[in-house]
Order: sequence, then C-alpha cells, then structure tokens
Amino acid sequence: MLEHMIPATGLLFTLENILWINIGVFIGSVFAAIPGLSVILCVILFLPVTYSMTAIPGMMFLLGIYCAGGYGGSVSAILINTPGTPHAAATMLDGHPLSEQGRTKAALKIALYASTFGGVFSALMLLFLGPQVAKIAAQLGTAEYFMVCVFGLTIIAGVSGKSMIKGLISACLGLLISCVGSDPMTSYDRFTFGIPRLYLGLDLAICLIGLFALVEIMAKAEKPLDRLNLDASQIKDDGVITKAEYKRMARPVLLSSIIGVLVGIIPGTGASEASWFSYNTAKNMSRHPEEFGHGSVEGIAAAESANNAVTGATLIPLLTLGIPGDGTVAIMLSALMINGLNPGLSLFTTQGDIMYAIMLGLILVNLFMCLQGKFLTTLFAKVVSIPQEILTPIIVIFCFAGAYSVNGNYFDVGVALIFGILAWVLRKLELPPVPILLGLVLGSMTETNFRRALLISNGNPSIFFSSVYCIIFLVLIVAAVGTIVRGKMNEKKASAQKEDEHHAQ
Amino acid sequence: MSKWVEQFNGRMDGWGRKLHEKEIRIPVDLVTGILFFALALIILLVMPDQVAISEKDVVNGRAFPTLLMVLMMLCCAMLVGKELYKLATKQPLNWKVINIQTEAKALVILGILAGTYFLSKLTGLFVVGAVFCCLGFLLYFRCRKKSYYVITLTVAVAIWAAFRFALNVDF
Repeated sequence: MLEHMIPATGLLFTLENILWINIGVFIGSVFAAIPGLSVILCVILFLPVTYSMTAIPGMMFLLGIYCAGGYGGSVSAILINTPGTPHAAATMLDGHPLSEQGRTKAALKIALYASTFGGVFSALMLLFLGPQVAKIAAQLGTAEYFMVCVFGLTIIAGVSGKSMIKGLISACLGLLISCVGSDPMTSYDRFTFGIPRLYLGLDLAICLIGLFALVEIMAKAEKPLDRLNLDASQIKDDGVITKAEYKRMARPVLLSSIIGVLVGIIPGTGASEASWFSYNTAKNMSRHPEEFGHGSVEGIAAAESANNAVTGATLIPLLTLGIPGDGTVAIMLSALMINGLNPGLSLFTTQGDIMYAIMLGLILVNLFMCLQGKFLTTLFAKVVSIPQEILTPIIVIFCFAGAYSVNGNYFDVGVALIFGILAWVLRKLELPPVPILLGLVLGSMTETNFRRALLISNGNPSIFFSSVYCIIFLVLIVAAVGTIVRGKMNEKKASAQKEDEHHAQ
Repeated sequence: MSKWVEQFNGRMDGWGRKLHEKEIRIPVDLVTGILFFALALIILLVMPDQVAISEKDVVNGRAFPTLLMVLMMLCCAMLVGKELYKLATKQPLNWKVINIQTEAKALVILGILAGTYFLSKLTGLFVVGAVFCCLGFLLYFRCRKKSYYVITLTVAVAIWAAFRFALNVDF
C-alpha cells in the first residue's frame, strides 16, 4: 500500500486536479441545492466532458460532483423546507426548524461539518478496505464474475421499482441494448440494422442523457412550475456552534458514519436509506429525543454524516468487483473503463498509483467541499431560487451539446432523443430506469464472462455451480431475492391495511 | 401584440381545460407484459438476420441475447399471468391513469426538443438550435420577463462558446 501512496500523492497534487475537484464540487453543490435537479442528472450531463481527460482529473471531477451532491441537498432542505436531493429529506426534519429559530447559518454549518466528517471517514474506509476486498476478488474466475454481475443486477432490479419482475424486464432491456454493436469476442456486428454508426455500439453517456436527463425535461409537462422564493436575509445569524453542541454531535456523527459505510457497501441501498436509518438510531440513542423534529443538532448531524459516508463505501464494490452501489457510481465505472481501468485486483496493483491517487483524492474532495461550503453557502442558497424557465432550456442545451461532443455528430443527438422518448414510455409503463443503466454498464462484462465460462466448460452450464464462490453468490442471490420479495409483500400489506383504515375512518 | 398573446393563451387554456378532463385508464402490468413479450419475440425472430455467427463457435454471439430474451419472456409471462389471475379472482388490476392534457404538453416539449435537433442538424450551427430551444421553452412557460429571455439566450451562447472554444467541439 505504502509503495503506491507516495507516487499517488505526486499524481494527485497537480493544479489541474485541484481545479477539476473544485469545479466538480461547485457544480455538484449547485445542482444538489436546486430541488428537482439530481446528482445523477449532473453526473450524466458532465460525463462527456471527462471523455477528453485522463483518469485522475476525470474521476476527481465526477467525485467532486458526487460528494458535493451529498451536502448540497441539505441547503434547500434547511432554507426552504424542500430537500434538494431525496437523501436530504431526513436533514430537513431538524434543519428547517433550526433555521426558523433564527439559526440558519448554524444549521448549514452543522450539515457541512457532519457531511465532511462522514465523507472523509468513508474515504478512509475505502482506502483501507478496498485493497483487501480486491484480494478476494482476485480469486474469482469467469464463472464467479458472471455470478457477481447477476447478483448486482438482481439487487438493483429488485429494489429499483415497485415490482421486482418489472425491474428484471428493465435490466434485460439494458443488457440487450448493450449488445448493440460489434460482438466483444468475435467482432461480428449485432443488431445494427444496417446502420454503420451502430457498429461501435451505443455510447453510455448518450443513452443516459436520453434516459435520465431528457425524460426529466418532458416530465415538466406533469407538474406546474415550482416557485421557490428564498429570503436571503434569513442567513444573518452568527452561525456559532457551542462547545456543548459539538459534544452532542460527536457520537451521532461517528455512529452514523459507520452506518453510512455499512449501508453504502451493500449494492442497491443508498444515501436515503443510510440517512433515515442513522436519523432514527440517533433519535433512539439520544438523551434529548424530544428535540428531534424541532431543530435538534444531533438529528442534522446524524442524517448528513450518514448520507456522505455512503460516497466512499459505494466505491468499494465498484472498484473491487465492478458492482456499482447505485446509479451514479455506475456512471463513474464507465468513466474508469474508458481510461482502461478495469475493476479488480489489478487496479490496486499494476495501476495502483492511479487508484490510490483517486482514493486519496476522495479525501481531498471532501476537504474542498468543506472549504467551498464555508465560504460559498450564501451563493448556493441564492441558486436555490433560479427559475425553472431559465434552468430548463439550459439543461437541454447541455444535454444536446454533451451528446454531440462524444463523437462529434448529430446522429448521437438523435439517439439521445430516441432514448428520451423510450424513457417516457417506460415511465408510463412504470418500468424503473436504473436497472437499464446497470444493464448498459455491466452488459459487456456480464456477457464476456458468461461466454468465456461456457467456453472453458465446453458449453456445460454446470460451471456456474462448480466452485465455492459460485455457490456463495448463488445463495446470496436467492437470499436477496427472498428478502426483496418479502419486503415488497410486507409493503403491499401495510399499504392495504392503511387504505382499509382510511376507508373505515 | 399583447392582445394577440392574451387571445392565444386564452384559447390554449380552453383546450387545456377540455383535455384535462379526458383520461385513459390502462391495465399497466398487463400492457407491459404483452408489449415486452412481443418485443422479446421480435428480437428472437430477427436474431438470425442481425447476429452473424460462425458454425465453429461453441458459444456464439446469439447465446447471451437469446438468454436475455427468454428471461424477459418469462418475466412478462409471470406479469401477465399475475394480472390474469387477478382478473379471474375479481381482484383489482394495477391501473395507470393517463391524462391527455399532460401527454399533449409532453408532446409540445418533445416538439421543442425535436425542433432544436433538426434546426441544429440542418443548419450545421448548434447555436441556432440552442436559441430556438431557449425561445421555445420560455414561450412554453409563458414567460413575460424580458430579463429571463436575455439571461437564457446569453447562457445558451456561452455554453456553445465553452464547448466550441474551450473543449474544441466543432459545431
């Protein structure tokens, strides 16, 4: 590990990297602060920008967006009682009441410091746990890797929508789309329908611009314009956090960071689950549970540290096994693979300098997030009230410019538009888009490992049940499916019960 | 001019009110199941034409897509079967209400997006499409603030310039 650390610091501390980290953090904070814009949308819009960069600055930029997105959502949650991102909903419960007590700056500061601690803690966990998990991953063969991909896809398909079957249909669709273009093993063309531009396949960024960004623009038809009027004068308090408050924050912050890391490692779970779970744990363990919901510093600290502690943890299965913990890091996987960095042990050995630079960079990202948050919060707060009339066309222009810039042609812009229409239809059919994203990202890896394993066994499918690791993953898949199905059935029962009670009343 | 705009908006509001009352209810799981079952079947049918293989291959390029389509058909069959069982036992199906006004508005937005694409492509100037996009959306939102038009158009040109000169994207 140490042999990679010193060259990694040399690679990391360049003016270019520092600049891209700060640009990423700034953009991520702004996007997350605006209700209706999500971190995943931001990463998709700026993914094409990273295509012309090398691995470290590209990843620093995307990680800047990702981490700052964890904090940025709390700004609007505290200021206008509307979470900028779904995981800031738990922060809102205490953040806004504290703001109403005239302590807006203090609430924002608590959120910022807790987020920074959670983020740094998570980055350190990645730094120490990542290489260890990668060593286990190195023992996996092609059949085991196929099972790992199936495991990741099954979990994401299961938790992404209301119905697991629909999630699986979406995942199949994503995997099918990934088959378009030349065969990864024989280079024969597949599903190109005589269109020469499809020989190289469909670029991930272009598909995602349609699936996640353009569909959100079309969704403006579903709801009237939101008017978010922010009174900037409300951020006028001194922002002082007392010693007693720091003391009260310490335990929930540490505990929530651990919870965030544990939740983040599990694929399919994310910042929302971590922040709610931590918030409830902090409430149960607090000496002042009556303050929760009325501006408790512990509540804000717990929710914020947990949702940022997820950021580094989601990268552990991503960098070691290639399983993205959520949709946003799935996009980062593609950014890594474009630069020839494939997940697994080799990433930590042969390309160790780059990998350690990225992991150390995550700590730096969190520190710059803290600095920007400290000095630019008033600016982020003003951004919250940018009108939709201005934002919408700007996002569309970004989408089209991004799609065009990938290969420098309008064919790709047309493809993005078609994917936008497809996503609109899928939304009407209640099919979740995240499994499609995962199918697109994992498609090539899943198919290659599937075919290689069958080639080794001369076409005998028993190879997928032949090793201990295969059996372990099979058991995990069955257990995950069982848990998800049971959870969904309980959810249905609970909602039916509620409906009955509602009718009875 | 403003009188004409008022008249136009009034007419649109009238249509909007009429369309708002019109709804279509679809049994969403049943439709999804049938639609994707048909898609999987079509993909399986076109596979021999679309995926070339070598006879020598033990596992050829059709194996994985075939597996996916069979899995998709199985999922669809389960979805349809579940809904048919509900129908037989007189349980309520999973219905989706589609509002015609919302869909009409989505079509207008799609029109603006398509217009932006075609204008950029036909003129070869991305900035022309970008300006159309800004004007289209501001009019769609019925924006009357001149400052919004100025800001949006300025930002649109700035984005084009950033991609053109900073990122060397030739459009």
